[in-house]
Amino acid sequence: MKKFINQPENIVHELLEGYALAHPQKVLLAGDYLVVRAAPKAMGKVGIVTLGGSGHEPGLSGFVGEGMLDVSVPGEIFAAPSAPRCLEALKMADRGAGVLFVILNHAGDVLAANLALQMARKEGVRVKEIVTHEDISSGSRERPEERRGLVGFLPVYKIAGAAAEEGRSLEEVFTVAERLSRNMRTLAVAVKTATHPSTGQAIFSLADDEMEIGMGQHGEAGTGRMKLKTADETAELMLAALLEDLNVVEGEDLLVILNGAGATTLMELFIVFRRVSQILKARKIRLVRSLVGEFITTQEQAGFQMFIARMDAELLRLWDAPCDTPYLVVR
Amino acid sequence: MISSIGLREWRAMLTGAAYELRSAYAWLSELDSICGDGDHGVTMLRVANLFEQCVAQGSGKSPEGLLSDVALALIGLDSGATGPLLGSFFLGMAEATGPKNELDARSLAESFEAGLTAASRQSGAHVGDKSLLDALVPAVEAMRRAADEDRPLERILLAASRAAQEGAVRTKNLVARTGRARYLGERTLGTQDPGATSLSLIFKGFHAGIATLEGQAEAARGREGRGST
Repeated sequence: MKKFINQPENIVHELLEGYALAHPQKVLLAGDYLVVRAAPKAMGKVGIVTLGGSGHEPGLSGFVGEGMLDVSVPGEIFAAPSAPRCLEALKMADRGAGVLFVILNHAGDVLAANLALQMARKEGVRVKEIVTHEDISSGSRERPEERRGLVGFLPVYKIAGAAAEEGRSLEEVFTVAERLSRNMRTLAVAVKTATHPSTGQAIFSLADDEMEIGMGQHGEAGTGRMKLKTADETAELMLAALLEDLNVVEGEDLLVILNGAGATTLMELFIVFRRVSQILKARKIRLVRSLVGEFITTQEQAGFQMFIARMDAELLRLWDAPCDTPYLVVR
Repeated sequence: MISSIGLREWRAMLTGAAYELRSAYAWLSELDSICGDGDHGVTMLRVANLFEQCVAQGSGKSPEGLLSDVALALIGLDSGATGPLLGSFFLGMAEATGPKNELDARSLAESFEAGLTAASRQSGAHVGDKSLLDALVPAVEAMRRAADEDRPLERILLAASRAAQEGAVRTKNLVARTGRARYLGERTLGTQDPGATSLSLIFKGFHAGIATLEGQAEAARGREGRGST
C-alpha cells in the first residue's frame, strides 16, 4: 500500500504536528505530544480526557475542543500511550472540578489507564473513569466488560463535554455519560484489510468476495466471515443484531452513526443509511439524530461501524449543545 | 563462580536480554503479524534500547536503582500493553530488592516472585490465557525450585530460561483469552504468543549475561595461571 509518509519511526510526531498546524484556532500540542484545546476551558469546570493509539485519524484527537475533549493522549500507531503521559494529561485537564477519563476498552489502553489512574489518585487528582465497551461482536451481553470500545467514544465525549460546559459536577458528568455509555451498541463490518503504516504488513486477509462482521478497530478479524452481501442485506443483518442486543422497542428514540473505516466511500455509507432509516421507520423506532462520516478509521481498511444509542430528552439536549472541534462542530 | 547478583550481574543480564531481543526482531514481528498488527518486533527493539540505555547510565547505582530506572522507562514507553506489564514486573523486582547490594539465590527468586505478582495484578490474566504470563509463571517457579535446591546462580537462571521457553512454546496450543488476540478465537491456535516469546528471550538473555560473566572470569583465571612467572 502506497502511503505518503517519511520515515516510519516519525509518523506519529509528524502527523500530530501537522494536525495542530492545520487547526491552530482549536488545538495545540502541549507537554509530551498531548493534544489540548487552544483556548482552555474555564476554571471550575470538569475536564474530559481520553487516550488511544494513533493511526485512526480523526479519532481520537480530532475531537479536542470546546464542548468535547480537553486533552487527548495519542499513542504510537495502534498502540496505547504510556501511563506517565496519561497522568500528565489528567493533571493538565484538571480545572479544579476533577476530570472524567474516557477509556475505550482495549487491552493496552486499559492497562495504561489503570496505571495512570493509580498514579493520579496517589497525587490527589480527582478523577472518575468510564470504559466504553459497546461492540456487540466481541463479547456477550452477560460479560459486557469483554466488549471492545469502538465509535461510541464520540457521543460519550459529546455528552460529557456538554455536561461539563454546563458547569455540572464530576459526579453529574460521569452519571450522564455513563448512562449513554450503557445505552449504546456498535457492530462493525470489513471487506478489505488495512496495512500497518510502519511495517507495511497487511493486518488480516479476506477473499475478494468475502466480508467479515465483527471487525475490530486495529483490523483484528472478528468471527462472522461470510460472502459479501448487498448494502441492504448488510444493513438488515447488522441493524437487527444491534436492535436486539440493545433491546430497542417501538416508540424509542435512536441516535444512529455510520462510521467509515477509511476506504469505504460516503456513497456506500449513504446507501446503507437509507436502508437503516427504512427499517427503523417500519419498526416504528424514531431515528432522531444521525451522523455519517469518518470519525475513527483504520488506515485504508474498507468497511464501516454501525452505531445506535438510545436517547432521552437530556441526552438529546446535550447532543445538540454547541461544540467546536476540528472534526465535529455543532452550532 | 557467581554466587550473588549485584549491580554488575544485573547490568550483564540486561545487556544479554537486549541482545536476544534484537536478534529476534524479525521473528517477533512475524509472530505478531499472524494474530496482531505486527509491531511487537519494533516494540521489543525499543525495549532492548531501553535496557542498554539504563545499563549505560547505571554505573553508580544500586540494583534497586537500576531496576527502578528500567521499570519507569518501560512504563514511560508508548507501547500498548508491553510497557505497563514489563514495567510492573521490574517495579515489583525493584521494590523487593530494596537496599540490598547483593542478592543470594533465594533473595533473587523472591524478587522475581514479587515482580510476577506485580505484573499479574496489572494483567488480570492467568496461565492458559495465552500471554507473557504463560512464560513468566513457569520461569519464576523454576527459579524458586532451583534456588531452594541450592543450585548455583547460573544454573538457576538456566532453569528459568528453559521453563520460560517451554511455556512460550506451549502457548502455540492455546486459544487467546486475553489481550487483543482474544477476539480472534480459534485463529490464534498454532502460533506462539509474541509476548510470551519475548519474555522467554529476556530470560534467555538474563542467563546468557551471567554465563558470559562466568566465562570471562574463567578465562581471566586461565590467563593468570599461564601468565605468571
